[in-house]
Amino acid sequence: MYLKDLSSVSPQVTYTEEFINGDYIIYSKNILSVIEPSYSEIIPASLLRRMGKAVRMGIGAALPLIERNEKINGIVMGTANGGLENCINFLNQIIEYDEGVLTPTHFVQSTPNALAGQLALMSKNTGYNVTHVNGPLAFENAILDAMMFLEGASNKTSLLLGAVEEISNYNYNIDLIAGRYKLENIANNDLITSQTNGSICGEGATMFIVSNDANDALAKIINLKQINFPNQIDLEQLLNQFLIENDLIPDDIDLLILGNNGDVQFDSWYVLLRSCFPANMEYVYYKNFVGEFRTNSAFALFFATQLLNGRFHNHKGIQGNFRNTPKTILIYNQFEGIHHSFILVQSPEPE
Amino acid sequence: MNREEVKSEFKAHLITYLNLLDITPDQIKDDEPLFDGDLGLDSIDSVELIVLLDREYGIKIINPTEGRQILIDVNTIVDHIVLNRVK
Repeated sequence: MYLKDLSSVSPQVTYTEEFINGDYIIYSKNILSVIEPSYSEIIPASLLRRMGKAVRMGIGAALPLIERNEKINGIVMGTANGGLENCINFLNQIIEYDEGVLTPTHFVQSTPNALAGQLALMSKNTGYNVTHVNGPLAFENAILDAMMFLEGASNKTSLLLGAVEEISNYNYNIDLIAGRYKLENIANNDLITSQTNGSICGEGATMFIVSNDANDALAKIINLKQINFPNQIDLEQLLNQFLIENDLIPDDIDLLILGNNGDVQFDSWYVLLRSCFPANMEYVYYKNFVGEFRTNSAFALFFATQLLNGRFHNHKGIQGNFRNTPKTILIYNQFEGIHHSFILVQSPEPE
Repeated sequence: MNREEVKSEFKAHLITYLNLLDITPDQIKDDEPLFDGDLGLDSIDSVELIVLLDREYGIKIINPTEGRQILIDVNTIVDHIVLNRVK
C-alpha cells in the first residue's frame, strides 16, 4: 500500500511546513493541545458551529488532502474515543436533566464515526466508509482494513486513511487518577528521559491518502503486526516472525521509531525491542512532539514518511540517534504493556 | 423580568445553545425568520430550541403545529415565553 499524501493537525504546527522545517513547541504543562488551523476559511460556519474538536481537527487535516486528491474511493478512520468531550457532555446531561429532553448535537458529534460521515458528506464521497474503534490499536486496524481493501480493488484506487483523538477534561482527570499521566509538570522535551510513572496527554488528527498505485508515492507501508497481552518472549518471537515474513533481518532496518512516553512502568518494552537489533541501530522518538494518546501511531507514520523523504535532518526537536536518511523504518508502539504494534514502512523506490 | 430583559436573555441562550460563532445578541433581529433567514438555522436547531425552552423556561412544545407557530422569530418565541414560562 502506497502513501501518496499526508496532513496532520497536532500539538506542533504540522498543518504547515513550520514543524517540519525545524520549529518545535515546548510545552511546560502535561496537556498538549493541538495547534488548529483557521477553520473558517475551509469549513462553512453553519457546519463548524456544530463540530466537536475531534471532528473539527479531523476535517482540518483531511480537507486539504481531499482538495489535492480528486479521486478518493473511500474513507477509513481509526479512533479510540472519537468525540469524547461531546460524549461525556451528552452522558452528563442525561443525569443533569433527569433523563429528560436531550440536545441532539452532542450525541451526533460524540459517535466515533461522526468524522468519517462528515467527511463523506463534505466531499460527496459515497464509497467505502468505515471507522475502527479498537482502542490503542484503532489506527493499526484502519491500516489493515485499507490494505485489504486496496489489495482487492482495481488499479489506481485511493483511500483517505486517518486517525483522530481529542483531549477531554473529564477524561484527562479520570486517566490522571488512573495513573496514566504524570503528577508533576514536565516539559515535553524532557519526556523521554523522565523517570516517573505516567506520561503527558496529547491529541491530534493525522490523515493520509493511500493507494495501490506506486506513482508519485511518498512511502510504502509494507506490513503491520499487532499483539495484545504478550510477555517479553511473545514480543521477541513476534518481531522475528514479522521480519522473516517480510524477508528482512534486523540489520535491514535503517531506523526504529519508538513510542517511548516517559512512563517508567512500561518504557522497558522499548529497551527490550532495541536489544533485538544491532547496538548501533538508529532510532528516534516521537511522543516528545505530541504526547501520549491512543492513536498517535498515525503521527508516527506521518513522522516516518517525512524521515524517508529526507526531512528532519538537524531538526532541533529530534531525540534519539538519527544520522542518515533511512530507506526502511520499523515503527514500534505499545500502550501500557498490553497493546503492541509494528508498522513497517519503506521508501517507495523501484524494487 | 420585563419583555426586553427576557428577549436579551433569550438571545444569549440562543447563541450558547446553537453555538452561533461570531454572532452577538445585537446582530439577531427580533423579526428576522430564524429559519430561512441570515442565521440559517435548520431542523436540528429546531430541536435545540425546544430543549432550550424546556430547560431554561420550563416550556414544553409537544405539538408540532404549535411549534411551527412559536418558532418563527425572536418576537414570537419571547411572546410565548412571557405568557407560558414556569421558571
